Amino acid sequence: MINWFKRRREEKSSYETNEEWIDALSEPVDEQAVGILRQKLIQGLKPALYKYVDRELDQFVEDVAQDALLKILDNIDSFRGESKLLTWAMKIAVREGLTELRLKRYDDSSLEEFKHPGEGGRDELTAITFASDLPDPEQATHEQLALQKVLKIINEELTEKQKKAMNALMIQGLSITVVAEQMDTNRNALYKLVHDARLKIKNRLEVDGIDPDDLLNRM
Amino acid sequence: MELTKKILSKLIQAVSKSHPDEIGCDECYDQLDTFAQMKLEGKAPEEAMPLVEDHLKRCRDCREEYEALLAAMKNLSNGT
Repeated sequence: MINWFKRRREEKSSYETNEEWIDALSEPVDEQAVGILRQKLIQGLKPALYKYVDRELDQFVEDVAQDALLKILDNIDSFRGESKLLTWAMKIAVREGLTELRLKRYDDSSLEEFKHPGEGGRDELTAITFASDLPDPEQATHEQLALQKVLKIINEELTEKQKKAMNALMIQGLSITVVAEQMDTNRNALYKLVHDARLKIKNRLEVDGIDPDDLLNRM
Repeated sequence: MELTKKILSKLIQAVSKSHPDEIGCDECYDQLDTFAQMKLEGKAPEEAMPLVEDHLKRCRDCREEYEALLAAMKNLSNGT
């Protein structure tokens, strides 16, 4: 009887519904289904990642698909069926690929300044100077005022970790994936850290009677 | 390090638009396939899942992943 069921599974040539995919990718795993899924991941990853890849795209995409497949199979029980299984699987593969690309793009040397701020514990953010190429002296006054206000609040309200994160993410514009790695944390925790920082600044502006939209309009 | 007018404006804008209900990267990722599926089917996920939409506007890495996911799925449906 078991052999009959196995033979029935082997005869399957396509996987359309979520139920069919879940059944095929759950233990005992249907290797034919895994092969089909691998090909679909590769087919999707190429147009998704080509603009980020400066090396052999085909090999990179195959490696990503393989790594993603392991995660997909390990986590198949967590698929809730709110999307098509292929979309869910591709989400995992895309995250796998982009994370690897981001982390490899930035090596340690490019983040030395970030990892080792100036000596004497000087605050990275207060060390920031304003760009000097402002055309209108009157405008410069408003903008300098805005900068001073914001930097004062940042210094008084934020933790050192928050200042470092704000500098890296919002001023240097680094990837949250990379900054999380460098700060030995994860993306979610880092987002929450900066979210809290933004709320602190917003609340302090409110307490000081400063409308951020008004600040923006004056700039 | 120079803080340009553009960066300062973006910082103040980000602060201005901050609200306590924002979701983080994990929650966005958890719902991203559902959000993308709706988009692919011509529905309006921005209305059904506003907190995901909000996070995607704020978080560049999550937005890149969303756009890459859309590109991947569109390629599959085109059969190219």
